[in-house]
Amino acid sequence: MKTLILGILFFGSLLAQEVVELNLPNTNKVIIKLMFKNGSVCDPAGKEGLTYLTSALLTQGGTGDLSYTDIQNKIYPWAAGYSSSVDKEVSIFTFEVHQDFLKDFYPLLKGLMLHPSFSQSDFDRVKRNQQNYVDQVIRASSDEEYSKKVLEYYLFSGTKYQHMVQGKSESVKSITLEDVKEQYKNYFTRNNLMIGIAGNYSKEFLATLKKDMHELPATKPNLPTLTEPQMPKGINVEIIQKDNAFGSAIFAGFPMNLTRKDDDFAALMVANSFLGEHRKSYGQLYQKLRETRSMNYGDYSYIEWFDNGGRNMLQPAGTPRSLNYFSLWIRPVQIAKQLKNQYKELENISIGHAHFALRLALMEIDNLIKDGMSQKDFDATKTFLRSYIKLYVQTPSSRLGYLMDSKFYGKKDYVNEMDKLLAKVTLADVNKAIKKYWQIDNMDIAIITDKSEAEPLAKNLKENLVSPMSYSNMVKAGLPKSVLNEDDAAAAFHLNVREVNIINSEDTFK
Amino acid sequence: MKALFSFVLPIFFLSAFAVSAVAAKKPFPYPIEQYKMANGLNVVTVKFDSPGIASFFLIVRTGSRNEVEEGVTGFAHFFEHMMFRGTEKYDKDKYNEALKAIGASANANTSLDRTIYHMTGNALKLEKMFELESDRFENLHYPIHDFKTEAGAVKGEYTKNIASPFAQLEENIANTAFDNHTYKHTTMGFLKDIIDMPNQYEYSLKFFNRFYRPEYTTLLVVGDVTAKEVNHLADKYFGSWKKGNYQADIPVEPEQKETRYTHLQNGSIPPFVSLNFKGPGFSTKTMDSPALDILTTILFSDNSKLNQKLVINEQKVRSLNGGLYDTRDPYLISIDASLVNKKDMQYVKDEIMKALEEVKTNGVDEKILAETKSRLKYSFAMGIDNPSSIANILSHIIELTGDPEDINRSYENYDKVTVDDIKMVAKKYFVQNHLTIGTISADAEGGVK
Repeated sequence: MKTLILGILFFGSLLAQEVVELNLPNTNKVIIKLMFKNGSVCDPAGKEGLTYLTSALLTQGGTGDLSYTDIQNKIYPWAAGYSSSVDKEVSIFTFEVHQDFLKDFYPLLKGLMLHPSFSQSDFDRVKRNQQNYVDQVIRASSDEEYSKKVLEYYLFSGTKYQHMVQGKSESVKSITLEDVKEQYKNYFTRNNLMIGIAGNYSKEFLATLKKDMHELPATKPNLPTLTEPQMPKGINVEIIQKDNAFGSAIFAGFPMNLTRKDDDFAALMVANSFLGEHRKSYGQLYQKLRETRSMNYGDYSYIEWFDNGGRNMLQPAGTPRSLNYFSLWIRPVQIAKQLKNQYKELENISIGHAHFALRLALMEIDNLIKDGMSQKDFDATKTFLRSYIKLYVQTPSSRLGYLMDSKFYGKKDYVNEMDKLLAKVTLADVNKAIKKYWQIDNMDIAIITDKSEAEPLAKNLKENLVSPMSYSNMVKAGLPKSVLNEDDAAAAFHLNVREVNIINSEDTFK
Repeated sequence: MKALFSFVLPIFFLSAFAVSAVAAKKPFPYPIEQYKMANGLNVVTVKFDSPGIASFFLIVRTGSRNEVEEGVTGFAHFFEHMMFRGTEKYDKDKYNEALKAIGASANANTSLDRTIYHMTGNALKLEKMFELESDRFENLHYPIHDFKTEAGAVKGEYTKNIASPFAQLEENIANTAFDNHTYKHTTMGFLKDIIDMPNQYEYSLKFFNRFYRPEYTTLLVVGDVTAKEVNHLADKYFGSWKKGNYQADIPVEPEQKETRYTHLQNGSIPPFVSLNFKGPGFSTKTMDSPALDILTTILFSDNSKLNQKLVINEQKVRSLNGGLYDTRDPYLISIDASLVNKKDMQYVKDEIMKALEEVKTNGVDEKILAETKSRLKYSFAMGIDNPSSIANILSHIIELTGDPEDINRSYENYDKVTVDDIKMVAKKYFVQNHLTIGTISADAEGGVK
């Protein structure tokens, strides 16, 4: 017994990395994930975006003796691939290769992680793309993604979570190659690494990988202490105005002190799935806004970060976080300028659908807080989730990713453990959790909209003016009385608005 | 090779992981079991080791290509939305309830040549999937009010998409490159037609009657199932589905005789140049598609000479991509470059044209040809590791030819491509008069000749 303990200690001190294994002997491929606990919270003040740039340069540059192009030439016939992703608290490097080429591929992996060339020319190229992202792409490509990033900027104001992982215009500009080298040395170390491996690999291979990764910088990373964001006082709306926006894209949210590590998460997961399961037509928000009133393409709610919701249907792995918030995604709704052009009967309206959509969504949440879920809805949602969460881990890569995220939250296998918690959760637990964690009086709201819509919308919100839903005659004619009555209630639903600001798109993420 | 999905991420070839270690003779290593029903419905089963999980796909070979009448562009996609509006047995609320009870990931999407309805979930619920899907495919029934309401959701989808300047350019390129063929409009349709959709209830009934028929449809099940049970359930649930008799008369596109231009003035994103040559329709019977796939992989991969010159060394281009869209009728070969500075737009276009001319004269190196074949082979092998990836890959080939076995033929064709084939397709397709140039910059005009 004594020897064994000594052995563990010895092993522990020599190779401290955590390892997550998923051995799948029937597959022909090997996936390696290297997760560093760092993320954008480790960006120095004034150098926001540095962790992202460091990760990007590691995967888009060369190693000691090979240029980026040399590496691409080597892996081209193998169809092997690698990439990096950065979130608030982790950076993950993912390598995928067919078993036939693992031996040839591995020295490249090792070189990229241990001996990055950090050439000025690679740095210039990678930095230019990142600069372009923060200067232009985020503002111009998807108003939905843009509104989500703006929301985080305000929600996490004054905390390490505030800035986009890609940084800000001025901060990216100021990053030098020396900064990147320092960040690599300080935060991409053997002391904050978790190794994940899946597929058909040998014990010997894993031993070599562990041994080699021990050659990463030996620095003890100085991880910042994270402070919880302040609950906003009242409802604060930031309207971002831009030229030629076709609609109003909306994200709203408030901080919530609950993550996957907490047992209450299962209860709130049931409530959230009922309210607004991502990209599902069953959610109440979807039913009220899209299905009944055809206001937009979809409406959902979240109890944790969901990466790239416009593209991903199922919650992807790789963004574990210790700070959390509840959010509401209302996909772009119509603005007055468009509606006036499209329907003669709406030629006199002054605002589009954003205010009404927000009121209807918040009224729905308020009703859920007051009334709770019914036994029938609870049973149906719980049954759905117990089946659905298993689809998160359909591929070896997603299984590995979820297992690694589990460790971040102090769990072994989140999907299985969540299933057990879901099996036990009761209606009373769910309704208690809703009352404990949700409210509608304090939140931040980001709206990306057209210049023509911003002023009248701001006035309406600030003064809590009624915002009747403006249907085309064609749709209105067929609506049942119950819907019209609900519309009347929503149009005058009081929102606890404290502040409304209009910001030019050019002035965001400076 | 580009798979064109207007409203979903192109998934063909992008997913990752491994195939069974068994050395397979065919590029697609799993048996494809087909059963043609008397009413014309083709039933395809692929057994795959995914304990407890199955993907259930219905592929209707109707997309925006079939929208031949004036004023109804975008209708195939709109109709996809209507398919979620219920039947007499399952109204939309009951349908939602039943779908939720299955606990599956389910959705649908439309592109130029097809509409796909898909579910991935518990294989033990297979019969319920059959029951729900056959009911709406045979007995769809929606109130006129629901029809008018759903049109608003389509407009909402357009509104979210069109926020991107690239979506605007895509719409303009199709409209400029084509005169007669229905590929002139995107799958989303023209905005004026989207706004008019609520008035087209009668047409929607006609549309369902024409296209939601067994002869247009393939039923595909992949995962923890057997062909025997799938075929049995197909007989039980789709046996009564009646065959139709409609065939859309798709206009033939006349030969393009001059270079065409479309420009979007927008300074909010980096300058952008898109070169679009008329390409071939997909076929496994000629070498055109495979040779073009290989050529565009050679020219525009991360390690290509052009990428190395323009992106890595000169750093004038941020990203460079190119490929042939797989479509039933001739569509486009697109080459896209995002630039650092708009003054380089002409230079970048000229460099790309130079590289294409070089291939016409000198072909490509034998070594890179062999490496590209290897790349395509391994990329494919690594992408088929779960039921929904496999179902997506097979759906794509079914959309193009109707026959899932063509997945093997198309990969066998890659192996046959020669340097001469590559020279042949370069000469045949990279023709100045068949080119449509799309540009985005802060200037009033594109200025690329």
